Amino acid sequence: MLERLYHFLEVRLGIRDILEQNLTKYLLPNNVNIWYTLGAVLITLFVTQFITGILLLVYYVPNPAEAFQSVERIMNEVPYGWLIRYLHAVGSNVIVIALLLHMLSVLFMGSYKKPRELTWVSGFILLNLSFALCLTGYLLPWSQLSFWATTVATDAAGAVPVIGDALVRFLRGGAMVGDATLGRFFALHVMVLPAMLAGLVGFHLFCVRRIGISRPPFGEDYRPAEVKGYFHHEEHPGGIPFFPNYAIKDMAVIFFFLAGLVYLVFFAPGLFIPPSAFEPADPFTTPEHIKPEWYFLWAYQTLKIFPSEFLGLAVQGLVMTGLALLPFIDRGSERRPGRRPLFIACYILGILLFVGISVWGHYS
Amino acid sequence: MTDPSINLSERRTFLGILLGGVGLVISAAAAWPVWRFLAPSSGEGNLAKVSIQRAEVPLEQAHFFSFHGKPAVVLQAAPGKFAAFSAVCTHLGCVIKWVPEEQEFLCPCHAGRFSVEGKVLGGPPPEPLEELPVALDGDQVLVG
Ligand code: HEM
Ligand code: FES
Repeated sequence: MLERLYHFLEVRLGIRDILEQNLTKYLLPNNVNIWYTLGAVLITLFVTQFITGILLLVYYVPNPAEAFQSVERIMNEVPYGWLIRYLHAVGSNVIVIALLLHMLSVLFMGSYKKPRELTWVSGFILLNLSFALCLTGYLLPWSQLSFWATTVATDAAGAVPVIGDALVRFLRGGAMVGDATLGRFFALHVMVLPAMLAGLVGFHLFCVRRIGISRPPFGEDYRPAEVKGYFHHEEHPGGIPFFPNYAIKDMAVIFFFLAGLVYLVFFAPGLFIPPSAFEPADPFTTPEHIKPEWYFLWAYQTLKIFPSEFLGLAVQGLVMTGLALLPFIDRGSERRPGRRPLFIACYILGILLFVGISVWGHYS
Repeated sequence: MTDPSINLSERRTFLGILLGGVGLVISAAAAWPVWRFLAPSSGEGNLAKVSIQRAEVPLEQAHFFSFHGKPAVVLQAAPGKFAAFSAVCTHLGCVIKWVPEEQEFLCPCHAGRFSVEGKVLGGPPPEPLEELPVALDGDQVLVG
C-alpha cells in the first residue's frame, strides 16, 4: 500500500530525487558541530508556538472588558488550559534564548560573511520580528503587567525627534494604551507578524540551502573557502549525510530544548511570569517596579543611563543597525576565531555588556 | 569512555531508536491534553432543576428557556396544568414555535405540527416531542 503511494508520487513528482538531494545525499561538512542544530531547534519551537497559539485563540477574547477573564478561564477552567498557555508564554522565552545562541554561534564562526549576507540579514530581521511578537503578545492578557509594560515600551518611541509623539499615538492607536491598542496588537500578534515570520523563515532556509552550509572554521585542515565573483554552491564532498547522521543529532538537541521548556512549565513558570501578571489591568494605578521582560532589559536600562532619552535611543539604533549590516562592515574573509582577535574581543565585550546592563536594569 | 567494539553506526541506530521512542511517547502524551482542551464542556451541573416564575407562563401561552444547554418550552394548556418539552423538533432538529391561535406547536422548517401533549399532528416528524418532568412549588414551575 505504502509502496504504491510512494510509486504514485515518484512517477509524478520525482520524490526520490528530492529526498536524496535533501536527506541522504545532502552532505554537511565533516567537522560540523552541535551549534548547527539550533536552526532546527528554532523551527520546532516556532511550530510549537503556532500550535499552542491557535489553541489559545479558541478561548481567548480580544476585548479589554473580557480579555483578562478569558485568560483566567483558560488557566482555571478549560482542561489543560494552563499547560497550553504556559507552553506558549514560557516557550517565547526559550525561543529568545535559542535565537540569541543561534546568532552568537553564527557570529563566533563568522558564517555571516560573504556570500551569506542575505542569510544573516534575513536572520536579523527574524530576530526583530520575534521581539515584536513577544511585545505584542505581552499585552493580550490585559493584566497590570501587560498594560504597564506596554505603556513604558511604547512611550520610549516618544524620544524620536519631531515625529515622536505622533509615533507613540500611532503605536497605541490613541493617546494612552487602551481598547484601540489591544485591537492593533492582537491583529499584529496573531496574523501579520506570524505570516511575515513564516515567509521570512522560508527565505532564510532557502538562502542556507542555496549557498550551502558553511564549514566550521576549526581544525588543522580548515582553509577559508574561496569566495568567487559568481554564484557558487559550497559543496562538502566526503562530508556527513544530513540523514540519518545529522538529523539524529538535530533530534537529540531538539528534545533537550523541549525537555528544558517542559521543565520550566512544570516547575518554574513563575520565573517568567511576575505577580502583576495575575491582576487585571487598571489604567489608573501604576504598580510598583514595572520592568520589561529580561531580553528587553538592556534597552530599558540604556534609556535610563544616558542623560537624554534621545541619546539612549540613538545608541540603541546604532547598535542594531550595525549588527544588521555587520557582513557589509566586517568584510575580511578570515573566519577562524584565533585569527580575528579584534572581532573576538568585541564579541566577548559585547556579551558581557549585554549581560551587565541587563543585570543592572534588573536591580535598578 | 568510548568502547571501540561498538561502532559509530550502531550507536547512531541506538540513539535513533531511543529518540524515536521518546518522540512517540511525547506525541501520545501531548495528544491527550489537546483533545481535552478542545473537547466541549459537558453541560453544567446536569441534574439541576430549572425554575421559572409561574407568572411567566400565562394560560394558553408557552415560555421558551434553556434547559441544560438545549432549548425547551413550558406551557400552561389548561388553568394550573403545566407541561414541558424539549423544543427541538424530532425531525431534523429545528426549534419549534408556539401558535396560540391553533393551540399547537409548529416547526417552521418543514411544517411539522405537535399537540399540547407533544404528539405529532402532521408533517414529517417521526416521534413526539421529548417530554420533561414538571413540578409546582409555590409561584415557581420546576422543570427537570
Ligand atoms: C526564526 C528564527 C530562525 C530560524 C527558524 C533559523 C533557521 C536556521 C536554520 C535551519 C539554519 C541552518 C542550520 C544552522 O546553521 O543552524 C540557519 C542558518 C543560519 N542562520 Fe538562522 N534561523 C533563525 C534566526 C536567525 C538569526 C536571528 C540570525 C542572525 C541574526 C540567523 C543567521 C543565520 C546564518 C548566518 C546562518 C548560516 C549558517 C551557516 O551557513 O553556517 N538566523 N538558520
Ligand atoms: S425539522 Fe421540524 S419539521 Fe423538519
